[in-house]
Amino acid sequence: MIRREVAIVGIGQTEYAKALPRDAWDLAIEAVTGALADAGIDPADVDGMCRFAAPFEPVSEPMLVRALGIRELTFFAQSPLGGEALGAVVAHGAAAIMAGLARVVVVYRALSQSKGGRFGRADRGVPDPAVDIVVPEEDNRSFAWPYGLMSPGQLFALWAARYAAVHGLSAEDLTQALGSIALTQRRYAHNNPAAMMRDRKLDWETYRQARMISEPLRLFDLCLENDGACAYVLTSADTARSLRDDPVYVLSATQTLSPYREPMGIYTEDLLTLFPPATAERLFAQAGVTRGDVDVAEFYDATSFMPLRSLESYGFVPDGQAWRYVVDQGTGPDSPLPVNTHGGHLSEAYLHGMNGVLEGVRQLRGTACNQVADAAVALVGAPAGSAMILAR
Amino acid sequence: MAIVPGMTDLTRPYWENANAGRLVTQRCGTCGRGWHPPLPACPHCHSTDLGWQEVGGDGTVYSCTVVRHATHAALADQIPYVIAIVELAEGPRLVTGITGCAPEEVRVGMAVRARFRPVADGVTLPYFEPT
Repeated sequence: MIRREVAIVGIGQTEYAKALPRDAWDLAIEAVTGALADAGIDPADVDGMCRFAAPFEPVSEPMLVRALGIRELTFFAQSPLGGEALGAVVAHGAAAIMAGLARVVVVYRALSQSKGGRFGRADRGVPDPAVDIVVPEEDNRSFAWPYGLMSPGQLFALWAARYAAVHGLSAEDLTQALGSIALTQRRYAHNNPAAMMRDRKLDWETYRQARMISEPLRLFDLCLENDGACAYVLTSADTARSLRDDPVYVLSATQTLSPYREPMGIYTEDLLTLFPPATAERLFAQAGVTRGDVDVAEFYDATSFMPLRSLESYGFVPDGQAWRYVVDQGTGPDSPLPVNTHGGHLSEAYLHGMNGVLEGVRQLRGTACNQVADAAVALVGAPAGSAMILAR
Repeated sequence: MAIVPGMTDLTRPYWENANAGRLVTQRCGTCGRGWHPPLPACPHCHSTDLGWQEVGGDGTVYSCTVVRHATHAALADQIPYVIAIVELAEGPRLVTGITGCAPEEVRVGMAVRARFRPVADGVTLPYFEPT
Protein backbone atom coordinates (compact mmCIF):
# COMPACT_ATOMS: atom_id res chain seq x y z
CA MET A 1 0.00 0.00 0.00
CA ILE A 2 1.10 3.53 -0.76
CA ARG A 3 -0.37 4.94 2.44
CA ARG A 4 1.80 8.03 3.16
CA GLU A 5 4.97 6.43 1.74
CA VAL A 6 4.97 8.87 -1.19
CA ALA A 7 4.17 12.57 -1.40
CA ILE A 8 3.53 15.35 -3.89
CA VAL A 9 6.16 18.00 -3.24
CA GLY A 10 5.72 20.36 -6.18
CA ILE A 11 3.02 21.58 -8.51
CA GLY A 12 3.26 23.70 -11.65
CA GLN A 13 0.93 24.97 -14.35
CA THR A 14 0.87 27.32 -17.30
CA GLU A 15 -1.79 29.85 -18.06
CA TYR A 16 -4.93 28.33 -19.58
CA ALA A 17 -6.50 29.83 -22.70
CA LYS A 18 -8.53 28.86 -25.73
CA ALA A 19 -5.44 29.35 -27.89
CA LEU A 20 -1.88 30.01 -26.75
CA PRO A 21 0.81 30.87 -29.31
CA ARG A 22 3.00 28.04 -28.03
CA ASP A 23 3.46 24.35 -28.73
CA ALA A 24 2.38 21.66 -26.26
CA TRP A 25 5.93 20.77 -25.35
CA ASP A 26 6.78 24.40 -24.64
CA LEU A 27 3.83 24.37 -22.24
CA ALA A 28 4.94 21.05 -20.75
CA ILE A 29 8.41 22.45 -20.01
CA GLU A 30 6.95 25.47 -18.21
CA ALA A 31 4.63 23.32 -16.07
CA VAL A 32 7.35 20.80 -15.21
CA THR A 33 10.03 23.37 -14.38
CA GLY A 34 7.42 25.23 -12.32
CA ALA A 35 6.60 22.08 -10.36
CA LEU A 36 10.29 21.33 -9.78
CA ALA A 37 10.96 24.91 -8.64
CA ASP A 38 8.00 24.65 -6.27
CA ALA A 39 9.56 21.45 -4.89
CA GLY A 40 13.07 22.89 -4.68
CA ILE A 41 14.43 20.10 -6.88
CA ASP A 42 17.05 20.55 -9.61
CA PRO A 43 15.63 19.28 -12.93
CA ALA A 44 18.83 17.30 -13.42
CA ASP A 45 17.84 15.16 -10.44
CA VAL A 46 14.59 13.92 -11.96
CA ASP A 47 14.87 10.19 -12.64
CA GLY A 48 11.25 9.16 -13.22
CA MET A 49 8.45 10.30 -15.48
CA CYS A 50 4.80 9.22 -15.77
CA ARG A 51 2.43 10.51 -18.37
CA PHE A 52 -0.81 9.94 -20.22
CA ALA A 53 -0.26 7.72 -23.26
CA ALA A 54 -0.39 9.13 -26.77
CA PRO A 55 -2.57 10.34 -28.38
CA PHE A 56 -3.82 11.85 -25.14
CA GLU A 57 -0.41 13.31 -24.25
CA PRO A 58 1.38 14.84 -27.23
CA VAL A 59 4.72 15.46 -25.53
CA SER A 60 6.99 12.44 -25.27
CA GLU A 61 9.53 11.75 -22.52
CA PRO A 62 12.55 12.07 -24.87
CA MET A 63 11.52 15.62 -25.76
CA LEU A 64 11.36 16.63 -22.12
CA VAL A 65 14.46 14.79 -20.96
CA ARG A 66 16.71 16.78 -23.27
CA ALA A 67 14.89 20.07 -22.67
CA LEU A 68 15.07 19.74 -18.88
CA GLY A 69 18.69 18.58 -18.74
CA ILE A 70 17.79 15.33 -17.00
CA ARG A 71 20.83 13.06 -16.62
CA GLU A 72 19.01 9.74 -16.78
CA LEU A 73 15.47 8.49 -16.43
CA THR A 74 15.50 5.15 -14.65
CA PHE A 75 11.72 4.78 -14.77
CA PHE A 76 9.16 6.06 -17.26
CA ALA A 77 5.66 4.81 -17.93
CA GLN A 78 2.58 5.72 -19.90
CA SER A 79 -1.06 5.15 -18.97
CA PRO A 80 -3.71 4.72 -21.67
CA LEU A 81 -7.43 5.54 -21.95
CA GLY A 82 -7.50 9.28 -21.34
CA GLY A 83 -9.14 10.12 -18.02
CA GLU A 84 -8.47 6.56 -16.92
CA ALA A 85 -4.84 7.59 -16.56
CA LEU A 86 -5.57 10.11 -13.81
CA GLY A 87 -5.02 7.80 -10.85
CA ALA A 88 -2.81 5.42 -12.80
CA VAL A 89 0.04 7.90 -13.27
CA VAL A 90 0.18 8.42 -9.50
CA ALA A 91 -0.03 4.69 -8.84
CA HIS A 92 2.83 3.99 -11.27
CA GLY A 93 4.98 6.81 -9.92
CA ALA A 94 4.39 5.77 -6.32
CA ALA A 95 5.07 2.11 -7.12
CA ALA A 96 8.33 3.06 -8.81
CA ILE A 97 9.45 5.12 -5.82
CA MET A 98 8.50 2.42 -3.32
CA ALA A 99 10.29 -0.23 -5.41
CA GLY A 100 13.44 1.86 -5.61
CA LEU A 101 13.19 2.29 -9.38
CA ALA A 102 13.18 6.09 -9.14
CA ARG A 103 13.53 8.80 -6.51
CA VAL A 104 11.96 11.87 -8.13
CA VAL A 105 9.04 11.25 -10.51
CA VAL A 106 7.53 13.99 -12.64
CA VAL A 107 3.93 13.64 -13.85
CA TYR A 108 2.69 16.00 -16.53
CA ARG A 109 -0.12 16.69 -18.98
CA ALA A 110 0.15 19.23 -21.79
CA LEU A 111 -2.58 20.15 -24.24
CA SER A 112 -2.69 22.25 -27.36
CA GLN A 113 -6.21 21.80 -28.66
CA SER A 114 -5.93 24.98 -30.71
CA LYS A 115 -3.15 23.38 -32.76
CA GLY A 116 -3.69 19.66 -32.30
CA GLY A 117 -7.44 19.44 -32.77
CA ARG A 118 -10.34 20.10 -30.45
CA PHE A 119 -11.68 17.13 -28.48
CA GLY A 120 -15.23 18.21 -29.36
CA ARG A 121 -14.57 17.99 -33.12
CA ALA A 122 -14.19 14.73 -34.97
CA ASP A 123 -13.11 16.31 -38.24
CA ARG A 124 -9.80 17.89 -39.13
CA GLY A 125 -10.19 20.53 -41.79
CA VAL A 126 -12.93 20.57 -44.40
CA PRO A 127 -13.82 17.17 -45.87
CA ASP A 128 -14.36 16.71 -49.61
CA PRO A 129 -18.14 16.47 -50.10
CA ALA A 130 -17.67 14.04 -53.00
CA VAL A 131 -15.75 11.47 -50.97
CA ASP A 132 -17.15 9.15 -48.30
CA ILE A 133 -15.30 9.08 -45.00
CA VAL A 134 -14.15 5.58 -44.12
CA VAL A 135 -13.77 5.08 -40.36
CA PRO A 136 -10.79 2.83 -39.63
CA GLU A 137 -11.66 0.05 -37.19
CA GLU A 138 -9.96 0.68 -33.86
CA ASP A 139 -11.50 -0.12 -30.49
CA ASN A 140 -14.93 -0.52 -32.11
CA ARG A 141 -14.94 3.04 -33.43
CA SER A 142 -16.18 1.79 -36.82
CA PHE A 143 -19.38 0.63 -35.11
CA ALA A 144 -20.12 4.07 -33.65
CA TRP A 145 -18.86 6.80 -35.96
CA PRO A 146 -21.08 5.91 -38.96
CA TYR A 147 -24.06 6.75 -36.74
CA GLY A 148 -22.62 10.13 -35.81
CA LEU A 149 -21.37 9.06 -32.35
CA MET A 150 -18.04 10.79 -32.79
CA SER A 151 -17.33 12.93 -29.73
CA PRO A 152 -17.06 12.26 -26.00
CA GLY A 153 -19.88 14.71 -25.25
CA GLN A 154 -22.35 12.60 -27.23
CA LEU A 155 -21.44 9.48 -25.28
CA PHE A 156 -21.76 11.35 -21.99
CA ALA A 157 -25.22 12.48 -23.13
CA LEU A 158 -26.12 8.79 -23.47
CA TRP A 159 -24.95 8.26 -19.87
CA ALA A 160 -27.05 11.16 -18.60
CA ALA A 161 -30.13 10.10 -20.57
CA ARG A 162 -29.85 6.57 -19.24
CA TYR A 163 -29.49 7.90 -15.68
CA ALA A 164 -32.59 10.05 -16.03
CA ALA A 165 -34.61 7.12 -17.40
CA VAL A 166 -33.46 4.59 -14.79
CA HIS A 167 -34.11 6.89 -11.85
CA GLY A 168 -37.31 8.45 -13.18
CA LEU A 169 -36.09 12.04 -13.54
CA SER A 170 -38.11 14.53 -15.54
CA ALA A 171 -36.25 16.78 -17.96
CA GLU A 172 -36.63 19.57 -15.40
CA ASP A 173 -35.19 17.40 -12.59
CA LEU A 174 -32.09 16.72 -14.65
CA THR A 175 -31.74 20.35 -15.73
CA GLN A 176 -31.82 21.49 -12.11
CA ALA A 177 -29.24 18.91 -11.06
CA LEU A 178 -26.78 19.51 -13.90
CA GLY A 179 -27.31 23.27 -13.76
CA SER A 180 -26.63 23.29 -10.03
CA ILE A 181 -23.23 21.73 -10.67
CA ALA A 182 -22.40 24.03 -13.60
CA LEU A 183 -23.38 27.19 -11.72
CA THR A 184 -21.61 26.18 -8.51
CA GLN A 185 -18.39 25.50 -10.38
CA ARG A 186 -18.67 28.81 -12.18
CA ARG A 187 -18.97 30.60 -8.84
CA TYR A 188 -15.80 28.85 -7.64
CA ALA A 189 -14.05 30.00 -10.82
CA HIS A 190 -14.86 33.63 -10.09
CA ASN A 191 -12.33 33.50 -7.21
CA ASN A 192 -9.67 31.65 -9.23
CA PRO A 193 -7.29 33.93 -11.17
CA ALA A 194 -6.23 30.97 -13.36
CA ALA A 195 -9.78 30.09 -14.39
CA MET A 196 -10.69 30.78 -18.00
CA MET A 197 -14.24 31.63 -16.88
CA ARG A 198 -13.19 33.81 -13.92
CA ASP A 199 -14.96 36.90 -15.24
CA ARG A 200 -17.81 35.21 -17.10
CA LYS A 201 -21.00 35.22 -15.07
CA LEU A 202 -23.38 32.32 -15.53
CA ASP A 203 -26.94 32.59 -14.23
CA TRP A 204 -29.85 30.16 -14.45
CA GLU A 205 -31.46 31.93 -17.36
CA THR A 206 -28.27 31.84 -19.44
CA TYR A 207 -27.71 28.21 -18.51
CA ARG A 208 -31.22 27.12 -19.45
CA GLN A 209 -31.32 29.09 -22.68
CA ALA A 210 -27.95 27.89 -23.94
CA ARG A 211 -28.24 25.65 -26.96
CA MET A 212 -28.54 21.91 -26.63
CA ILE A 213 -25.41 20.17 -27.87
CA SER A 214 -26.47 16.56 -27.44
CA GLU A 215 -29.62 16.17 -25.35
CA PRO A 216 -29.86 16.37 -22.39
CA LEU A 217 -26.53 18.24 -22.30
CA ARG A 218 -26.46 21.96 -23.00
CA LEU A 219 -23.48 24.11 -23.87
CA PHE A 220 -22.56 24.85 -20.24
CA ASP A 221 -22.77 21.17 -19.27
CA LEU A 222 -19.71 20.52 -21.40
CA CYS A 223 -16.10 21.25 -20.50
CA LEU A 224 -13.86 23.90 -21.97
CA GLU A 225 -11.48 23.24 -24.85
CA ASN A 226 -8.13 24.89 -24.35
CA ASP A 227 -4.35 24.96 -24.32
CA GLY A 228 -2.28 24.59 -21.17
CA ALA A 229 -0.21 22.22 -19.05
CA CYS A 230 -0.04 20.88 -15.50
CA ALA A 231 2.70 18.98 -13.68
CA TYR A 232 3.50 17.65 -10.24
CA VAL A 233 6.44 15.97 -8.56
CA LEU A 234 6.33 12.76 -6.51
CA THR A 235 9.02 11.58 -4.13
CA SER A 236 9.36 9.44 -1.01
CA ALA A 237 7.86 10.66 2.24
CA ASP A 238 11.33 11.00 3.81
CA THR A 239 12.66 13.11 0.95
CA ALA A 240 9.42 15.11 0.94
CA ARG A 241 9.82 16.07 4.59
CA SER A 242 13.39 17.23 3.93
CA LEU A 243 12.14 19.49 1.13
CA ARG A 244 9.13 21.20 2.70
CA ASP A 245 6.91 21.49 5.75
CA ASP A 246 3.70 20.81 3.90
CA PRO A 247 4.10 17.74 1.68
CA VAL A 248 0.84 16.28 0.43
CA TYR A 249 0.85 12.55 1.00
CA VAL A 250 -0.59 9.97 -1.35
CA LEU A 251 -2.78 7.60 0.67
CA SER A 252 -3.96 5.44 -2.23
CA ALA A 253 -4.40 5.44 -6.00
CA THR A 254 -6.43 3.23 -8.33
CA GLN A 255 -6.20 2.09 -11.91
CA THR A 256 -9.00 -0.14 -13.16
CA LEU A 257 -9.99 -1.96 -16.32
CA SER A 258 -12.92 -4.32 -16.74
CA PRO A 259 -14.55 -5.76 -19.89
CA TYR A 260 -16.19 -3.65 -22.57
CA ARG A 261 -14.30 -0.44 -21.88
CA GLU A 262 -13.65 0.06 -25.58
CA PRO A 263 -14.64 2.63 -26.59
CA MET A 264 -15.41 4.45 -23.34
CA GLY A 265 -17.76 1.79 -22.03
CA ILE A 266 -20.57 2.01 -24.58
CA TYR A 267 -21.22 -1.73 -24.36
CA THR A 268 -20.77 -2.31 -20.63
CA GLU A 269 -23.35 -4.47 -18.90
CA ASP A 270 -24.67 -1.36 -17.16
CA LEU A 271 -23.88 1.92 -18.89
CA LEU A 272 -23.98 3.70 -15.52
CA THR A 273 -21.58 1.34 -13.75
CA LEU A 274 -18.38 2.80 -15.10
CA PHE A 275 -16.16 0.82 -12.77
CA PRO A 276 -16.58 -2.08 -10.35
CA PRO A 277 -17.80 -0.94 -6.90
CA ALA A 278 -14.85 -2.90 -5.48
CA THR A 279 -12.50 -0.29 -6.96
CA ALA A 280 -13.90 2.46 -4.74
CA GLU A 281 -13.74 0.16 -1.71
CA ARG A 282 -10.08 -0.56 -2.52
CA LEU A 283 -9.35 3.15 -2.86
CA PHE A 284 -10.69 3.87 0.65
CA ALA A 285 -9.46 0.68 2.31
CA GLN A 286 -5.90 1.18 1.09
CA ALA A 287 -6.01 4.83 2.13
CA GLY A 288 -7.21 3.92 5.62
CA VAL A 289 -9.87 6.63 5.58
CA THR A 290 -13.66 6.67 5.23
CA ARG A 291 -15.95 8.79 3.05
CA GLY A 292 -16.66 10.94 6.10
CA ASP A 293 -12.96 11.81 6.37
CA VAL A 294 -12.90 13.38 2.89
CA ASP A 295 -13.05 17.19 3.10
CA VAL A 296 -13.02 18.06 -0.58
CA ALA A 297 -13.41 16.19 -3.89
CA GLU A 298 -12.07 17.13 -7.31
CA PHE A 299 -14.02 15.06 -9.84
CA TYR A 300 -13.07 14.83 -13.49
CA ASP A 301 -15.85 16.73 -15.23
CA ALA A 302 -15.82 16.52 -19.01
CA THR A 303 -19.52 17.18 -18.43
CA SER A 304 -21.61 18.30 -15.47
CA PHE A 305 -23.07 14.79 -15.26
CA MET A 306 -19.74 13.28 -14.20
CA PRO A 307 -19.40 14.91 -10.75
CA LEU A 308 -23.04 13.99 -10.11
CA ARG A 309 -22.49 10.34 -10.93
CA SER A 310 -19.06 10.28 -9.22
CA LEU A 311 -20.69 11.30 -5.93
CA GLU A 312 -22.59 8.02 -6.23
CA SER A 313 -19.98 5.74 -7.74
CA TYR A 314 -17.33 6.71 -5.17
CA GLY A 315 -19.93 6.07 -2.48
CA PHE A 316 -20.64 9.53 -1.06
CA VAL A 317 -24.31 9.44 -2.02
CA PRO A 318 -26.46 6.32 -2.65
CA ASP A 319 -27.10 5.32 -6.27
CA GLY A 320 -29.85 7.33 -7.89
CA GLN A 321 -29.88 10.08 -5.27
CA ALA A 322 -27.11 12.45 -6.32
CA TRP A 323 -29.43 14.40 -8.63
CA ARG A 324 -31.52 15.33 -5.61
CA TYR A 325 -28.46 15.78 -3.38
CA VAL A 326 -26.76 18.32 -5.66
CA VAL A 327 -29.96 20.38 -5.72
CA ASP A 328 -30.72 20.14 -1.98
CA GLN A 329 -27.20 20.14 -0.48
CA GLY A 330 -25.16 21.38 -3.41
CA THR A 331 -21.43 21.12 -4.01
CA GLY A 332 -20.54 24.65 -2.93
CA PRO A 333 -18.32 25.95 -0.11
CA ASP A 334 -20.92 25.30 2.61
CA SER A 335 -22.06 21.91 1.33
CA PRO A 336 -21.18 18.62 3.07
CA LEU A 337 -18.56 17.92 0.36
CA PRO A 338 -17.27 20.83 -1.74
CA VAL A 339 -16.59 19.60 -5.29
CA ASN A 340 -14.35 21.06 -7.98
CA THR A 341 -13.33 24.06 -5.94
CA HIS A 342 -11.12 25.47 -8.73
CA GLY A 343 -14.05 25.56 -11.16
CA GLY A 344 -13.22 22.21 -12.73
CA HIS A 345 -13.09 21.44 -16.41
CA LEU A 346 -16.33 23.33 -16.86
CA SER A 347 -14.97 26.67 -15.66
CA GLU A 348 -11.21 26.59 -14.91
CA ALA A 349 -9.75 24.65 -17.85
CA TYR A 350 -9.66 21.14 -19.28
CA LEU A 351 -6.47 19.27 -18.41
CA HIS A 352 -7.72 15.68 -18.25
CA GLY A 353 -8.16 15.85 -14.50
CA MET A 354 -4.62 17.00 -13.78
CA ASN A 355 -5.73 20.48 -12.75
CA GLY A 356 -7.96 18.74 -10.21
CA VAL A 357 -4.90 17.06 -8.71
CA LEU A 358 -3.19 20.44 -8.40
CA GLU A 359 -6.30 21.86 -6.74
CA GLY A 360 -6.37 18.95 -4.30
CA VAL A 361 -2.75 19.72 -3.38
CA ARG A 362 -3.53 23.43 -2.85
CA GLN A 363 -6.51 22.56 -0.64
CA LEU A 364 -4.31 20.35 1.55
CA ARG A 365 -1.58 22.98 1.70
CA GLY A 366 -4.19 25.55 2.70
CA THR A 367 -3.44 27.78 -0.30
CA ALA A 368 -6.55 27.29 -2.48
CA CYS A 369 -8.57 30.23 -3.82
CA ASN A 370 -11.72 28.67 -2.41
CA GLN A 371 -10.08 27.15 0.64
CA VAL A 372 -12.10 24.51 2.47
CA ALA A 373 -11.48 25.19 6.16
CA ASP A 374 -8.95 22.81 7.67
CA ALA A 375 -8.98 20.46 4.67
CA ALA A 376 -7.01 17.33 5.58
CA VAL A 377 -8.13 14.69 3.04
CA ALA A 378 -8.97 15.13 -0.65
CA LEU A 379 -10.26 12.69 -3.25
CA VAL A 380 -9.39 13.31 -6.89
CA GLY A 381 -11.15 10.95 -9.26
CA ALA A 382 -12.22 10.24 -12.81
CA PRO A 383 -15.69 8.89 -13.65
CA ALA A 384 -14.41 5.44 -14.56
CA GLY A 385 -12.60 4.71 -11.29
CA SER A 386 -9.08 6.04 -11.77
CA ALA A 387 -8.55 8.06 -8.62
CA MET A 388 -6.36 9.02 -5.68
CA ILE A 389 -6.82 9.99 -2.07
CA LEU A 390 -4.42 12.65 -0.84
CA ALA A 391 -3.81 13.94 2.69
CA ARG A 392 -1.73 16.58 4.41
CA MET B 1 -20.75 12.25 -48.52
CA ALA B 2 -21.37 9.63 -45.87
CA ILE B 3 -19.43 8.26 -42.94
CA VAL B 4 -18.97 4.54 -43.55
CA PRO B 5 -17.36 1.76 -41.52
CA GLY B 6 -13.86 0.61 -42.36
CA MET B 7 -13.55 -3.16 -42.09
CA THR B 8 -11.12 -5.69 -40.75
CA ASP B 9 -11.25 -9.44 -41.31
CA LEU B 10 -12.98 -9.64 -37.94
CA THR B 11 -15.68 -7.06 -38.62
CA ARG B 12 -16.30 -7.61 -42.36
CA PRO B 13 -19.01 -10.30 -41.98
CA TYR B 14 -21.12 -7.95 -39.85
CA TRP B 15 -21.14 -5.25 -42.52
CA GLU B 16 -21.47 -7.63 -45.48
CA ASN B 17 -24.53 -9.17 -43.85
CA ALA B 18 -25.92 -5.68 -43.21
CA ASN B 19 -25.46 -4.89 -46.90
CA ALA B 20 -27.58 -7.96 -47.63
CA GLY B 21 -30.27 -6.83 -45.16
CA ARG B 22 -29.33 -9.23 -42.38
CA LEU B 23 -28.52 -8.24 -38.81
CA VAL B 24 -26.02 -10.65 -37.30
CA THR B 25 -23.97 -11.00 -34.13
CA GLN B 26 -20.97 -13.15 -33.51
CA ARG B 27 -21.66 -16.53 -31.93
CA CYS B 28 -19.48 -19.16 -30.33
CA GLY B 29 -19.60 -22.54 -32.08
CA THR B 30 -18.54 -24.28 -28.89
CA CYS B 31 -20.68 -22.81 -26.11
CA GLY B 32 -23.35 -21.16 -28.25
CA ARG B 33 -23.26 -17.73 -26.65
CA GLY B 34 -23.35 -14.50 -28.67
CA TRP B 35 -21.97 -10.97 -28.26
CA HIS B 36 -21.27 -7.69 -29.98
CA PRO B 37 -18.96 -6.08 -31.08
CA PRO B 38 -16.93 -8.98 -32.50
CA LEU B 39 -13.93 -10.57 -30.80
CA PRO B 40 -11.24 -12.97 -32.06
CA ALA B 41 -12.19 -15.54 -29.40
CA CYS B 42 -15.23 -16.33 -27.27
CA PRO B 43 -15.12 -14.22 -24.08
CA HIS B 44 -16.82 -17.05 -22.18
CA CYS B 45 -14.99 -20.26 -23.18
CA HIS B 46 -12.12 -18.84 -25.30
CA SER B 47 -13.04 -21.02 -28.25
CA THR B 48 -11.95 -19.71 -31.64
CA ASP B 49 -14.67 -21.71 -33.40
CA LEU B 50 -16.77 -18.63 -34.10
CA GLY B 51 -19.61 -17.93 -36.48
CA TRP B 52 -22.32 -15.38 -37.14
CA GLN B 53 -25.95 -15.74 -36.23
CA GLU B 54 -28.80 -13.77 -37.72
CA VAL B 55 -30.87 -12.06 -35.03
CA GLY B 56 -34.54 -11.14 -35.23
CA GLY B 57 -34.04 -7.39 -35.35
CA ASP B 58 -36.32 -6.58 -32.42
CA GLY B 59 -34.96 -4.52 -29.58
CA THR B 60 -35.51 -1.71 -27.12
CA VAL B 61 -33.83 1.67 -26.79
CA TYR B 62 -31.32 1.40 -23.91
CA SER B 63 -30.26 5.04 -24.15
CA CYS B 64 -30.57 7.81 -26.69
CA THR B 65 -29.57 11.39 -27.42
CA VAL B 66 -30.78 13.93 -29.93
CA VAL B 67 -27.66 15.51 -31.41
CA ARG B 68 -28.20 19.17 -32.22
CA HIS B 69 -24.60 20.24 -32.76
CA ALA B 70 -22.56 18.63 -35.54
CA THR B 71 -19.12 17.52 -34.40
CA HIS B 72 -18.10 16.69 -37.96
CA ALA B 73 -18.72 18.71 -41.11
CA ALA B 74 -20.12 15.58 -42.78
CA LEU B 75 -23.00 15.55 -40.28
CA ALA B 76 -24.04 19.19 -40.58
CA ASP B 77 -26.96 18.48 -42.91
CA GLN B 78 -28.27 15.63 -40.71
CA ILE B 79 -28.80 17.74 -37.57
CA PRO B 80 -30.85 16.96 -35.54
CA TYR B 81 -30.30 13.21 -35.52
CA VAL B 82 -30.68 10.47 -32.89
CA ILE B 83 -27.89 8.26 -31.60
CA ALA B 84 -29.20 5.27 -29.70
CA ILE B 85 -27.88 2.24 -27.92
CA VAL B 86 -30.36 -0.53 -28.75
CA GLU B 87 -30.57 -3.73 -26.76
CA LEU B 88 -31.51 -6.62 -29.02
CA ALA B 89 -34.08 -9.16 -27.84
CA GLU B 90 -31.19 -11.68 -27.99
CA GLY B 91 -29.14 -9.60 -25.52
CA PRO B 92 -26.26 -7.81 -27.26
CA ARG B 93 -26.38 -4.02 -27.64
CA LEU B 94 -25.63 -1.97 -30.73
CA VAL B 95 -24.86 1.68 -31.37
CA THR B 96 -27.30 2.79 -34.04
CA GLY B 97 -29.58 5.54 -35.25
CA ILE B 98 -33.36 5.81 -34.99
CA THR B 99 -35.45 6.72 -38.01
CA GLY B 100 -39.17 6.66 -38.72
CA CYS B 101 -40.21 9.15 -36.07
CA ALA B 102 -39.41 12.69 -34.95
CA PRO B 103 -36.11 12.79 -33.01
CA GLU B 104 -37.80 14.10 -29.86
CA GLU B 105 -40.22 11.15 -29.84
CA VAL B 106 -37.47 8.62 -29.15
CA ARG B 107 -37.53 7.39 -25.54
CA VAL B 108 -35.48 5.00 -23.45
CA GLY B 109 -37.40 1.73 -23.31
CA MET B 110 -39.11 2.28 -26.68
CA ALA B 111 -39.62 -0.90 -28.73
CA VAL B 112 -37.77 -0.71 -32.05
CA ARG B 113 -37.07 -2.93 -35.00
CA ALA B 114 -34.15 -3.02 -37.42
CA ARG B 115 -34.56 -1.23 -40.69
CA PHE B 116 -31.79 -1.22 -43.24
CA ARG B 117 -30.83 2.06 -44.80
CA PRO B 118 -28.48 2.65 -47.75
CA VAL B 119 -26.08 5.44 -46.81
CA ALA B 120 -23.57 5.32 -49.67
CA ASP B 121 -22.82 3.35 -52.81
CA GLY B 122 -22.69 -0.29 -51.73
CA VAL B 123 -23.07 0.53 -48.03
CA THR B 124 -26.27 -0.32 -46.13
CA LEU B 125 -26.31 0.15 -42.37
CA PRO B 126 -28.71 -1.23 -39.79
CA TYR B 127 -30.86 1.52 -38.29
CA PHE B 128 -33.91 1.07 -36.10
CA GLU B 129 -37.43 2.47 -36.13
CA PRO B 130 -40.31 2.36 -33.64
CA THR B 131 -42.51 -0.72 -33.96
